[in-house]
Amino acid sequence: MNPRRSNQHSSDWRAEAARLETPLSLFRGFVRHWSSQHRMGYEENPMNTAIEYADYHLARLLPLTPLDAPWYRGFFRNVCDAIHAPQLPLLEVSSRPVEVKSIWGIYPRQKRSWAFSLALQSLAVVVLFAAVSSPTVRHAAREVFQLQVPIHISPYKPAVQGGGGGGDRSTIAASQGKLPKPALKQFTPPAAVVRNPDPKLTIDPSILVPPDVPLPQVASNNYGDPFSKLLTPSNGTGSGSGIGTGANGGVGPGTGPGVGLGSDGGIGGAVFRAGAGVSAPALLYKVEPEYSEEARKAKYQGVVVLTVIVDTAGRVTNPRVVRSLGLGLDEKAIEAVKKWKFRPGYKDGRPVLVSAEIEVSFRLL
Amino acid sequence: MEGSLVSDPAPGAGDLQDFDALVRLHRPRIFRFMLASLRDRESAENLTQDCFVRAYQAREQFRGAASAGTWLMQIAANLIRDHEGSNRLKFWRRTLRHDLDPADLGNWIPDQRQSPEAVALAREQVTAVWSAVARLPERQRTVFLLRFVEDMDLLEIAAVTNMKEGTVKTHLFRALQTVRARLGGKS
Repeated sequence: MNPRRSNQHSSDWRAEAARLETPLSLFRGFVRHWSSQHRMGYEENPMNTAIEYADYHLARLLPLTPLDAPWYRGFFRNVCDAIHAPQLPLLEVSSRPVEVKSIWGIYPRQKRSWAFSLALQSLAVVVLFAAVSSPTVRHAAREVFQLQVPIHISPYKPAVQGGGGGGDRSTIAASQGKLPKPALKQFTPPAAVVRNPDPKLTIDPSILVPPDVPLPQVASNNYGDPFSKLLTPSNGTGSGSGIGTGANGGVGPGTGPGVGLGSDGGIGGAVFRAGAGVSAPALLYKVEPEYSEEARKAKYQGVVVLTVIVDTAGRVTNPRVVRSLGLGLDEKAIEAVKKWKFRPGYKDGRPVLVSAEIEVSFRLL
Repeated sequence: MEGSLVSDPAPGAGDLQDFDALVRLHRPRIFRFMLASLRDRESAENLTQDCFVRAYQAREQFRGAASAGTWLMQIAANLIRDHEGSNRLKFWRRTLRHDLDPADLGNWIPDQRQSPEAVALAREQVTAVWSAVARLPERQRTVFLLRFVEDMDLLEIAAVTNMKEGTVKTHLFRALQTVRARLGGKS
């Protein structure tokens, strides 16, 4: 620094200081006073702060307005505040809102959970298929489950049992000829030799055979017995009109309006099924089946399904087992069913053979 | 009284044997200087504490070249410079916010016997000086405060601020000019 300037400054600052003496002394006094004030509060009375704080907190604890103040004072203050609100210091916000993800709303599909779900479900499907396709499981399932045989829905096959016969007590046996058309109701029995050439009411002769039964076809213009070897027209030695050696308007050696051996229509002793003009046989008397010893020990239970033919007397004939249970229960079921009594199925007021399915259930109580 | 302490003619390592006594003796001055420089009671207290901590840590390096008071004031001046350098913006913001504590100024009555007019005038002058000092650069303010508040002479100020005497004079002159400009024609 330049000594001359330094000297000049030296004299200058003294002159300045002299000029400013009063404010500077005042300033000095103020600073010392201020500092000592602070020091007083801080050092020389250390208990002061604690007492001060206690008072401060007590003052804050006490309610601003006495609780027993009259109501109109508070009301008046509220009105004053509403008209001219007191200026409060600005709220100093030191915190800042942070942007976070929204917690309410529709969430997008989470890839991980989606993948987990897919994997779990495909695993479940795979396990299911593997279990079902495993031979042991299938065997076990067969042991557990009784596969239900569906209701008899095989194509309707008309029974070919039964039969009929007839004749007009001719001296010679019935001649060969074609069968009349089958019908479910016979109005006129067939005749090889027409005794009434000029009837008042002409109806084509028919035989009582269930429809769709294959009939033996004979190339002949006349009606007759298709199994006969004779060619001379004759109605046969039977009775009650018809053709053959039987009776009651049929063709053949049986009894009834059917064809062949047997009785009550049909061919060869036909068995009807309930429905289509054939009433179902009704149970009159029932015997509970006995349990076989083996089945009782094995606590075995189930249903045996039998197919039987209820004859015209209501008895059960020809029992056949459709669904077997084993352990001797099939035999017990047949034994019991044979004792049952039915009202036979009727067709046109006459009892006919009716086939029926009987479910015999074996239950352990 | 305190001015005589500054010029205590018995410097030396013996001063530091009783550090508690040293603190009791010099703490008011250091604190006053800090408070006048920083105008923040919390910072002033912290820096005063720091000052004595540093002095205690460096007490072996004290060779008695100056008095203990000068040495402590040197540490204080360095601390203030560091504080200003690190917290310049924060400091100025805080200074502008409570530039002058009106409660302190209101409580302060320079002389009980003076008339209210004189008290008002004195307050006005003090406020002007105060705000002028607040706007001074750090070195000028330190020199100004050391000279006119702590009543140190120029050589001591030069020792404390580690400046030459001429530099101290220059700083003083500029500081006084600023204060006088703030005070206006009143002198």
